[in-house]
Order: sequence, then structure tokens, then C-alpha cells
Amino acid sequence: MTPRERIKNAMHFKKVDAIPWVELFYEETTLKWFQQGLPADKITVVDWMMNDGYGSFILNWPIVKGFDVNSYFGCGNLGTCPVPVDVGPIPRFKQRKIGEDSKYQEYIMETGARAKRFKSGEYIWYAMPMYTQFPVQDKKSWEEYKKRLDPEDRRRYPKDWEKDAYLKIFEEHQDGNTLISTTGFYGFGAQLMGIVNFNLALYRDPGLIQDMVEYWEYFTIETLRDAVETLKDHIDLVFWWEDLAEKHGPNISPKLYKEYLLPHYKEVTGFFKRNKIDRIMMDSDGNTEPILDLVIEAGITGHWPLEVNAGMDVRTLSKRYGNKLFLAGNLDKREIAKGGEPMRKEIDSKLLVMKETGGYIAGLDHLVPVELTLERFKEYATYLKERLVVE
Amino acid sequence: MADVLDEISSSIGGLRGAEEVRHLVNAALSQGIPVPDIVDKGLRSGLQQVGAKYEGGEYFLAELLFAASIVDETMQILRPRIEGQAILKKGRILLGTVRGDMHDIGKNIFRMIADAAGFPVEDLGVDVEPEVFLEQSKLTKPHIVGLSCLLTTALSEIGVVVGEFEKSGTRNNVRILVGGNAVTKEFGQQVGADEAALNAVEGVDYCRGAIKE
Repeated sequence: MTPRERIKNAMHFKKVDAIPWVELFYEETTLKWFQQGLPADKITVVDWMMNDGYGSFILNWPIVKGFDVNSYFGCGNLGTCPVPVDVGPIPRFKQRKIGEDSKYQEYIMETGARAKRFKSGEYIWYAMPMYTQFPVQDKKSWEEYKKRLDPEDRRRYPKDWEKDAYLKIFEEHQDGNTLISTTGFYGFGAQLMGIVNFNLALYRDPGLIQDMVEYWEYFTIETLRDAVETLKDHIDLVFWWEDLAEKHGPNISPKLYKEYLLPHYKEVTGFFKRNKIDRIMMDSDGNTEPILDLVIEAGITGHWPLEVNAGMDVRTLSKRYGNKLFLAGNLDKREIAKGGEPMRKEIDSKLLVMKETGGYIAGLDHLVPVELTLERFKEYATYLKERLVVE
Repeated sequence: MADVLDEISSSIGGLRGAEEVRHLVNAALSQGIPVPDIVDKGLRSGLQQVGAKYEGGEYFLAELLFAASIVDETMQILRPRIEGQAILKKGRILLGTVRGDMHDIGKNIFRMIADAAGFPVEDLGVDVEPEVFLEQSKLTKPHIVGLSCLLTTALSEIGVVVGEFEKSGTRNNVRILVGGNAVTKEFGQQVGADEAALNAVEGVDYCRGAIKE
């Protein structure tokens, strides 16, 4: 079985020769591991591209594109061949520094939010900035923001986007899983308004929320339409970023989910399903259990990363939802970081059950954190790979 | 008298909106009900109902924030009438996110709920140095020091702050409450906090209990 077949089968509750293993890495984790001995030359990806460092030359030039840490450890990647559609604001807000003192710098971010971050330190972006202002506060600022969310803007697709040519490339060269990314409405609203203001607006300004969610539905479908209709036979998964919960439970109640999200989610997932794409995975931290029935009714068919600290457990969820929801992640990063017996127990106790149920992609219960040392990760990777095989 | 206070309480508990609460509060005032009673037996009792429903899984963050905003809005109207009265002084909380962590969402939600519940909160902000918690505590003498932390990379800072209070001999003068996504009950015990709250409502409930003692 190829890695792609293995992941596709797992997502569809079909037989696998081994449970697929997928991780997502913070770049700062990788950088920290370089200091701990990860061989940079083995994972740095250099590609020959047209150099645009000083404008564009007709000149092929080696460019460092990033790090392929997944291949090095032998773990999969859900999006080896992502579909390159831009669902962000266009034009982007120009990210720029607008102030600083001895300790902090303040920025306008690409989404239009203002944020303060540490000027220096061991971790800068991993520590995440503190948002001090969001681009949408009311109807007026929303109307203004909408102008940057035009689905017809040609810049949403690559400069060389041409349907037949892309289709041919996928037909001839697709060698890994293809995903298309989108933002769920809760994630969309919380990014534009901030969590507190967005949650308050659900009660205090239902007219604004209604308008936003209707526009979100239109924007999502129309932005992705060309790519989805062209590449539908090649797209394995929709990665639905949401982040709508915290440790205690979902930020949005089942009542509000049903009222605002459900009808529009059904339209968007229906659009994917009419195009034969029926694996749609919600990315949300926290405890999502109280709304999972509604999430499934909305047409979502998978869930990652299933944070253990928030009480999520693949064994319980697979029992409750069967093949209605494939599951990914849920190996407790805190236990894995301990190594030895706690690490082995965490892996064995979950794999034992999930090998029986199917519909599972193994991995940590979030991106690989910076606190996990290279040595511990190697120990985890070695042990996990031995255990993934299905007899 | 009790009827209108119960109605205020259940209006907040049922999230029936700021306008209805304002109307009921005006009715209570015109009946001559003392403002401290309106605040305690009406508004805050309603907020406690919301807290109980949040703990019970009936309400979620949006409901909690909406209720706190109704109480806050109503308090703006009532505050001038009760300035300086005991009702405003339930027990002071000194609050901040520990050094190395700039997250403020959880801290701000706790502040909103605690404030609506009647606890004056002095918010030191984010990335607060351990000695700042200690110095400010000596100056303003809070009943409770609340330490928030989301990042696992900054979690050890909570222990540093607790250690500062211990070294200075003032640890027994305050209750230390810790919270945030990275915090667990076990961790709270390990670092010697008085309580680890897993959410804002649990934190405010702890404050209520601690002040009564």
C-alpha cells in the first residue's frame, strides 16, 4: 500500500496494512531540533525556481522552500500535494511593524489585526502574539473587509492556473495526499472579530452574524469552485480549520451552532460532496464533544487533533460515532514527552482499540511541540512505527 | 420585593437580554428596593445561575460572556448610586498572565466574570514579572492573586511566582489561584497554589468560597 492509499483507506474505514501515521510540526520545533542534532542537510528542501529576490529574472535559482521533517521520520503528511487556492483577504494587509519598545514589537498582521509580540526570546512565534485589535468590529468595518473577500479575484489562484494543465500535472505526478483547505465560520469570525467580540456578537448583533455567515458560505463555495470542480478526482480531503473549543467545551453552544452554522455548513459540505469529496476533517483543539452530533449532521466526516488534556479520547469517540467520523491524533503529547513506559502505554492502549475499529490516523494530539526533544521524538517514532502494522 | 429580584435573576439566567433586565431593574428601583439587594439578589444571583448552567454543560462561552456583559451594562447604571458601599467590595483580586506568556483571552474572560460577580479586579496584564506580582500585592493587599498561563513553555513561571511569595514571607496573606489552558489540578498542587481552576466559572466560584472563609 502506498502512503496515500493507506491514509485514504483509513479515512474511509477500509482495510489498511498499517495504521497511517501523520504529524504536523511547528517550524520552531524543527529549528530547535537542529540544535539537538537533527541533520539540516537531510531535511532542507531546495528547489530550482525563478529567482524573484530582486524582482524577477529569467533565471533558475536554488531556493530553500522549507524542511521535509515528515519524510525524515517516515511519518505521513495529509497535504503532500495541497491545492493552491488563497482563501485569505486580498489584497493582504501589508504586515508591518508599527511600534516597539525595549521588550515588544507591535505589528499589523496580514489579516488586518494588530498584535504585540516579544521582540526576542527563545520562542517568538510559537509563543503566539497578543492581539490588541481586530479588523471587524461592526457592520461598517465588516462591509469594508468584505471587499477583500472577493471570490472572483484572480489572485486567489496561482499565476499559472490553467485547468487542463493542472489536471494533467495531478494525473501524471500526484504522489501523495491532496487536500484543499478552508476556514469554518467560527474560525473565520473569531479571526476577524476576536473570540470575545465574536461570541458576544452572536447574541448582541445577530444581524451582523447572519450577514457574515451568508457571505462566508458564498465566499467559500465560489472561491473553491474552480479548483474543486477541476481536481475533484484527485482531492482526498478538505482540511476545515475551525478551532471552536477550549478545555471546558465548545465556545459556541449547540443552540447557536444549530441556528447559525448548521444550515450554511450543510450547503458548503454539500458542494464538496456533489463533487465526490466526502472526507472533510475539522481541525479544532479543545473539547468538542457537546457539539459533535451537530458537526456530523453538518457534513463533517473527520476530526483532528483530539486534545487529551481537554478530555478527548479516540476510544470513546469511535465507539459513539462508528464510521460516521474518522479520527486523527489523540496521542497525548505530555505522555509521549515522558518517553519509556508512559509513552509505550499511551500508544499501546489506543492502537489496540483503533486497529479493531479502523477509521484512525495516528499522531500527537496537536502539532509537535517545542518541548518535545529530538531524542524523545525519535524514541516515540521508533516505537510507534513498530506498532502500526495491522496483522 | 422578592418577585422582581427573582425576575431579574431569572431574566439573566435565561439570557432574555439587556433591555428586559434594565426594565426590571428600573421597576425594582421604583419599588424602593435598596440597590445592594438589586445587585446581590438580582444581578449576581442571575450570574450564578448562568455559571451553574455553564458548569452543567447547558451554557457555553458565548452565553457566559453575554450574561456578564448584561450585568456589566446594568452595573454602569447602578454604580453611581452605590459608590463606596460594601456591595462593591467583595474581595479584591490581583490578576495577570505570567512572564513569557502574552495570552490574554482566558485572563480577560475570567476578569469579566469576576468583575460582574462583584470582585474588584486589578489586572496587571500579560507577561508579568514575578516580582511585580509580589510588589503590587504588598501595595494593594488583594485577597486573591490570580495567575494565568496558556503556554506550556511558560508554565514553570507559576511556580516562580509562588516561590516569590514564599520567600518574602507573605504567602499566607493571599490565596493563589491558577488557571489557563496549560494548567491542571495536579499541576496546581505541585506548585503549591491554593486552587487550580479549569475554567473562569470555577475560578470565580473559588473566589466566592475563599472570601466567605
